[in-house]
Amino acid sequence: MKAISVQVEKAVKTYGGVVALAEGNLTVQSGEVMALLGANGSGKSTLSKILTGVIAPNGGQVLIDGKATSFGSPQEARKAGISAVYQELSLIPDLTVAENIWLSHEPIRGGFIKWQEMRANTQQLLDLFKGLYGTNLQPDALISTLTPDERQLVEILKALSFDPRLIILDEATASLDSRQVNRLFELVQTWKSHGMAIVFVSHRMEEIFRIADKATVLRNGRTVGERVIAESNERELVDLMIEGATILQRERLPVVDEQKPVRLAVENLRTNVLRGVSLQLRDGELLGLGGLQGQGQSDLLMALFGAIRCEGQIVLSGQARTFHHPRAAMKADVALVPGDRGSEGLLLIRSILENLMLASWSRYRTPIAFSKARADGGQIAQELKMVMSSLDAPVNSLSGGNAQKVVIGKWLLRSPKLLLLNDPTKGIDVGAKAEFYNLLDRLRDAGTAILFYSSDDDELLGLCNRVLVLHDGEISAELREDKLTRENLVAASMGASA
Amino acid sequence: MNNRAVQLLNRNPYLLSLLLLIIMVVINRALQDNLFEIGPLNGNLRVFTPAILVAVGQTFVVIAGGVDLSVGAILSMTNAILATQIPQDATGDVFVRALALAIGAGLLAGALNGFGVTVLRLQPIVTTYATSFIFAGVALRILPEPGGRLPRELTSFWRNPLAVSPDFALPMSLIVIGLLILFWVVLTNIRYRQNLFATGSNAEAAYSTGIRVNWVKFSTYLFSAFFATLAALALTLGTGTGNPRAGDQMTLPSVVAVVLGGTRLAGGQGNAVGSIIGALILGLIGNIISFANLDSWVRPLVDALIIIAALAIPGIFGVMRRLTR
Ligand SMILES: Nc1ncnc2c1ncn2[C@@H]1O[C@H](COP(=O)(O)OP(=O)(O)OP(=O)(O)O)[C@@H](O)[C@H]1O
Ligand SMILES: [Mg+2]
Repeated sequence: MKAISVQVEKAVKTYGGVVALAEGNLTVQSGEVMALLGANGSGKSTLSKILTGVIAPNGGQVLIDGKATSFGSPQEARKAGISAVYQELSLIPDLTVAENIWLSHEPIRGGFIKWQEMRANTQQLLDLFKGLYGTNLQPDALISTLTPDERQLVEILKALSFDPRLIILDEATASLDSRQVNRLFELVQTWKSHGMAIVFVSHRMEEIFRIADKATVLRNGRTVGERVIAESNERELVDLMIEGATILQRERLPVVDEQKPVRLAVENLRTNVLRGVSLQLRDGELLGLGGLQGQGQSDLLMALFGAIRCEGQIVLSGQARTFHHPRAAMKADVALVPGDRGSEGLLLIRSILENLMLASWSRYRTPIAFSKARADGGQIAQELKMVMSSLDAPVNSLSGGNAQKVVIGKWLLRSPKLLLLNDPTKGIDVGAKAEFYNLLDRLRDAGTAILFYSSDDDELLGLCNRVLVLHDGEISAELREDKLTRENLVAASMGASA
Repeated sequence: MNNRAVQLLNRNPYLLSLLLLIIMVVINRALQDNLFEIGPLNGNLRVFTPAILVAVGQTFVVIAGGVDLSVGAILSMTNAILATQIPQDATGDVFVRALALAIGAGLLAGALNGFGVTVLRLQPIVTTYATSFIFAGVALRILPEPGGRLPRELTSFWRNPLAVSPDFALPMSLIVIGLLILFWVVLTNIRYRQNLFATGSNAEAAYSTGIRVNWVKFSTYLFSAFFATLAALALTLGTGTGNPRAGDQMTLPSVVAVVLGGTRLAGGQGNAVGSIIGALILGLIGNIISFANLDSWVRPLVDALIIIAALAIPGIFGVMRRLTR
């Protein structure tokens, strides 16, 4: 592979009055993993897209191998050997996995696409993650039928298919489970040894310290420093990222009051994926769901929310219930925060406020108390540290993490009695995560029962008293107190019963 | 309905249209027993051909996420050009020149639409609705009244079935349909097809992947205009004369045919073969209406109902999917 060195100097990008990137600097070369760090809305994705020619900067310059270059379009960046895994993914839902991976560079002979070869090549790429995805993921599967983690894998393979010299991974790990991340990191190591340059964006600090050689930190659209990872620590990096930040340091988790009433009791719940799950959740309890991707965690939450069909018994607030539609669940004060904001149905071109209020208008009666709604919306936006120009800005002008905060805010505004969280902190920065955890504590104190699935093991370890690990549609282990360790969590994820 | 059937229909939405076509043929046959004899078959298909061609062109635009409301006016315009440029005593040379002129004018019209949508970034509906008045005006300027008469050799070449052997003749329009299908099959195996569908399905993602989204959109308007011009040719040869309002009733049915053929109105999914089937269904519905002595207002009503149904179909599919989960 031909060596590459890339330098971004003083890149600027503004949207009308909004400054997305004020002064972006970044240097990366062959055989190096450069972490790109920063809070939500600090300009990481913007800087990445400037490198791939998707966004034309208003100022500054990009030097490739020392030569000033300006990409007029994504294909020019591609030719220079740069490709990216985009945070919001760049997949076409109506095309198949193979068609997506090879889009715009399909193998052809005499103008005709060689479908067989394309499929075979796709299978080869998929084999890089062999055994780490569901049976659904085939070269001929439509993207729209895949789960979020499978889509993420396809997006990674798509970027790889261009044989890049520089690959940008913009939150490529946010939807992946620990095994998938491990495999990706193995691959990154090989790429690195082959002389590829890698830019790695993630909000999981633990990953940064595992894989990156150096880190460039952005704050409010400005590059504020570069550090060698081996000579730095989490504290220093977070301080650079967020002024006066507090990293989550929990001494002790709040204990669950066994006297509190049982809010939710599930008996032998079955869906296409679940093979009989039973659990109990008390008011004020935060129960974690762990395990690898697609073992039924989402199914469980969706079934409880009435979004998919299920069999078995659900007792909510002492009453046997079956919800046939999310509306019915919402009426019963159940809320579900999805992590997959793409399919969750944010109204992208509508304002942040409208999106926040979407599920709660009924609480403001007629005539709608607009100013009250605006005040509540503003408060939750502030609590979640949303970076935005105003509540009236459209959601599609938000950074990925900030859009996810809108999804969270929307459901918290309903003050639910049972809160279902489906990997809710995908793409949310350390500072805002800490805020979110505090918010969960407050909800818990107020008696809300919370069922919390996270693909991030650290999050489960840091937040929950009790974690149910799912494997193949069943609960393979219930971990609590001193049994709740990383080792046990990993072991149970693989199906070992504890 | 089980999951497999839903999935099959989801991937090949035109199967439903094929079923509808068969039903229409059966009804039509019941009303007209000589339907399958070469004379009526040839006549029917010839009359349907312009609508088929326009629908095939419209398919490109709709797949890319747009719509072309000017196809009827482009047809009128190029029809007027052909009728005035081909006198009764025209030689082969003159015919070829006239055809080149019509195609040139058609492509120019398409380019204007493409310019409005990709460069000026106007809504496709707005752009093509506005330009349709320009093209309709040009048509009337060229040919204020219906008129013109084409050479008999030319029209009879198109009107009469092609004698393949002494006892077997093939309607010319059937050959055209065959060529259209072949054209679509070729197209579905080249990169352009991937770019087209990607653009219609998610233009932003397609752009990030390195597809020249604007060029793709632009090209679809060239296709629709080109096929509208071919439709004008088929119409002019069929009637032997010109009419500056020939395309007035062609635009909406072209969209309906596309939708009937299983192409998604929102873009990203579709099939030109389906549109051919859709246009045939509409033609047969027209026949049935006239045979059954129904009032002529039934036809637009049917068109409207089909559009409404088409808009509802994604929702219905969604409900079915939920129920089968
Ligand atoms: N199209 C747009 N219009 C207006 N503002 C935008 C647009 N795109 C991005 N921004 C703003 O630019 C800023 C930087 O966004 P960017 O997506 O680069 O952040 P990020 O660092 O990737 O954040 P995250 O961690 O949440 O992904 C944000 O404040 C965002 O609101
Ligand atoms: Mg981002």
